[in-house]
Amino acid sequence: MNSGPLLFLGLFATMAVSWIGFILTPQMQLTGLSQTNTVAVGNTLPETYPVAPSGEAHAGAEVYRANGCAACHTQMVRPSDLGSDLRQEWGVRRSVAEDYLLREPVMPGSVRIGPDLANYASRADTNDINRLYLRLYDPKQITHGTLMPPYRFLFDTRKILFFPSTNAFVPPDADAPPAGYEIIPRPEARALVAYMLSLRQNGYLYEAPPPESLRAKATNAVPTNAAPAAAKPAPAPK
Amino acid sequence: MSSNAPAKTADAPEPAAERRSIPMWLVVLSGLLVYWASLFVSEDAGGFANDVYLPFHSSDEVTAANPIDPVQQEINKGRKVFEATCAACHQLNGLGKEGTAPPLDGSEWVQAAGGDRIAHVVMYGLTGPITVKGKEFNLSMVAWGETYTDDQLAAVLTFIRQQWSNKAGPIKPELLRAARAEKHKGPETAPELLRIPIQ
Amino acid sequence: MSATVYPAPKTSSAPPLSQKPGAEASCPAGIFVLLAGGALWLVIATLLALLDSLKFHNTNLLAGQSWLTYGSVQAASSAAFLYGFGVPAALGLGLWFLCRLGRCALAGPVCVFVGAVFWHCAVAIGIGAILCGRSTGFASFEIPLWCARLMFAAYLMIGICALITFHKREVERLYPTQWFVVGALFWFPWIFSTAALVLLAAPERGVLQPVAAWWYAHNFDNVFLSFAGLAATFYFIPKIIGRPLYSHYQAVLAFWTIALFGSCGGIPFGAPVPSWITSLSLAGTILTALPIAAVAGNFYETARMDFGALDAEPALRFICVGLLFWIIAGAQQIAGALPNVSAITDFTLFGAAQKELFHYGFFALTVFGALYSILPGLLGLDGSAWSPKLLKLHFYFSFLGALISYAALLVAGLEQGILLAEGRNSFDDVMGRTLFPLRMSTLGDLLVAGGAVLFLLNFVGVLDKARRQCCARLKEAA
Repeated sequence: MNSGPLLFLGLFATMAVSWIGFILTPQMQLTGLSQTNTVAVGNTLPETYPVAPSGEAHAGAEVYRANGCAACHTQMVRPSDLGSDLRQEWGVRRSVAEDYLLREPVMPGSVRIGPDLANYASRADTNDINRLYLRLYDPKQITHGTLMPPYRFLFDTRKILFFPSTNAFVPPDADAPPAGYEIIPRPEARALVAYMLSLRQNGYLYEAPPPESLRAKATNAVPTNAAPAAAKPAPAPK
Repeated sequence: MSSNAPAKTADAPEPAAERRSIPMWLVVLSGLLVYWASLFVSEDAGGFANDVYLPFHSSDEVTAANPIDPVQQEINKGRKVFEATCAACHQLNGLGKEGTAPPLDGSEWVQAAGGDRIAHVVMYGLTGPITVKGKEFNLSMVAWGETYTDDQLAAVLTFIRQQWSNKAGPIKPELLRAARAEKHKGPETAPELLRIPIQ
Repeated sequence: MSATVYPAPKTSSAPPLSQKPGAEASCPAGIFVLLAGGALWLVIATLLALLDSLKFHNTNLLAGQSWLTYGSVQAASSAAFLYGFGVPAALGLGLWFLCRLGRCALAGPVCVFVGAVFWHCAVAIGIGAILCGRSTGFASFEIPLWCARLMFAAYLMIGICALITFHKREVERLYPTQWFVVGALFWFPWIFSTAALVLLAAPERGVLQPVAAWWYAHNFDNVFLSFAGLAATFYFIPKIIGRPLYSHYQAVLAFWTIALFGSCGGIPFGAPVPSWITSLSLAGTILTALPIAAVAGNFYETARMDFGALDAEPALRFICVGLLFWIIAGAQQIAGALPNVSAITDFTLFGAAQKELFHYGFFALTVFGALYSILPGLLGLDGSAWSPKLLKLHFYFSFLGALISYAALLVAGLEQGILLAEGRNSFDDVMGRTLFPLRMSTLGDLLVAGGAVLFLLNFVGVLDKARRQCCARLKEAA
């Protein structure tokens, strides 16, 4: 162990092992994934999955990133035997690579100081936009003991001119603006809400099929992802 | 804390390492750790496939956990009918037998675009000469329309059209229903079949 | 099996980084800038971490400013620690070890100085960018791409000089510290450039991004910082105790297994990736028990519980406690990676506790121990320049702070994980019940920040002494 060049070569070889294992091979295996169909259950039809998020949702992902939301929230659901995620009703199935195909950047997070958000749009009342804004403006009004800070800088308080704006956010009385003023969510807040409403991972997939109890009601599961190995139809029973 | 001590460090000789070999306990520990770690890789690596996620352990498990494609379900049903009834004459390998039944494997009748003609064959039977794959057969086939339902007949036709080297599309029960509705009296002949238009 | 004996140095027993009077001209200013700047960034990182910790007590604290949100401050604190303190400390100590053990002078001191200044400026700009909302969103790689390029250029300037210094060494035989230093020097640019390329410059699709980010963060801690810290441990423990390292070959094993197994890991077991990736990561993490055992056994036999030396030399305390924390953090990482345990502890504060212990317990304490030994020599003083009272206070603050913070986060994480695993508690309930230990960690963070400030005060005192000595000599010369 006294030779500089040999030391370098050894280090290069060990680096190559981990680089090939974790950077190159996953790239070769997973870079060819394309949109696929969900496994339909019951009366539903298979749908294309994943769906590309809207432009505003994409802008919202940037707001999510800039504010460091990933420091407290994760966006991945673990399978039932590897955690309590499904029991917390954070999703109907585990997350797989297909779920993040059209997301840029991918921010799965690393610690849960707040709940997992992978399926936020499936859980939240998507019609009550005001409540979504309230979650950002004053989270304590929704969850009393929450550790989430208020994000009031995403909103403007403006004087009402002639008549109130249709975009205005209506807070509860405790946070009501002074008389004659209204609270308007900024574009960042609107984008962030659009992003939150795009967070959905609730269709079953080939890699994450419906559980035993729902399997009888499922009608198709032709694996259509790009992996050649998966393209075999189900083996006929002997 | 004497103030001499740090000065002593600076003047102390540079550290050296004794050339003792690796102790036995470390060697044993290495072996155990490598064994234990490789257990995880062999059990949970899912054959290094890109569509195997925990809790599944192999591509086969994933396929088995997925609901079956309806066409595949039809084929499975049809196979059961074929093995119970048709294989006796047409053989399990679909190649038929001289003097017993014409081949189904590679047959242009079986693989014709619309399944109307073979729907009539299984529904009403066949009699008289017929040319299959360039050879002439002059045999008699029993009608199965009374024994099997439209669904079952559709399934067995789907099976033979996708089995062996055949690559034709599935048959829907509607086709058999239409054939049954024609209410023929007895088995048909090849010329009669040829008059049926192919969809 | 006799001890390897170094050939007698060609000059006197005084090292080239001479402690003779009037040696400032040969003082490698670059090393000094790296280390001093690093110490300053550590104070900043601990203060930012303290601010974040305080936000758990009052969520409205400074919540009105977009640049002071919890996420922004956490990213800035992490970047300040890793790139402001971690890399410069590794480089500075590494250069010093290469000069010392190679018995040669630093190659390209001007280049190192410029590179060091350039690095610190780039980190400052990067952290400013993070606070302004330009963070990349990847844990451990929050620096935006354009800034990462500047840092990489600065690193190359310093790294190439380090390699030349290594090449110019006059001692043929390499001591383990030199392998660790060279290992760290090579590892950082390889993982940094890979991460910058694959995450930012030509981003990979989908879930490949977090895989690369996890790989990078794991490599940065488990290989780069481990190499850098253990280089100091392997140097100072045998030297201060006055006994040779127990086994050269055990150190060889430790070195290569840290590189091979320490680099394969970091993917959470429930991550949305095919199972082979998580299995390989788990296998690699389990196998890191090997270097931990090798290093622990080696130092146990070397020191043979000679506690007398700990009293005589204060710097040794930092190094020994640092080593102990490295072993504990490594063991916890292995335990937390096992599937049964990770089902409960993944994504809870359990992981945050392990990182806290590794960064502030192992790496920071080890670097402090090394700095206490090295810095006076760089300034032409001897070890008595340090104020013993401040040093002792610093040790207790840092040691207890890291321990309290770690223990509090560990309890919080375990409680969080166990309550969530029961399945009948809502997430909000669980977080409410883990609030108390989480808030206890603030006390630990306060002590850690206090310790870093005390070091800075002590350091300023040493600088003052050096300045006075320098002025006195100039007057004499005049």
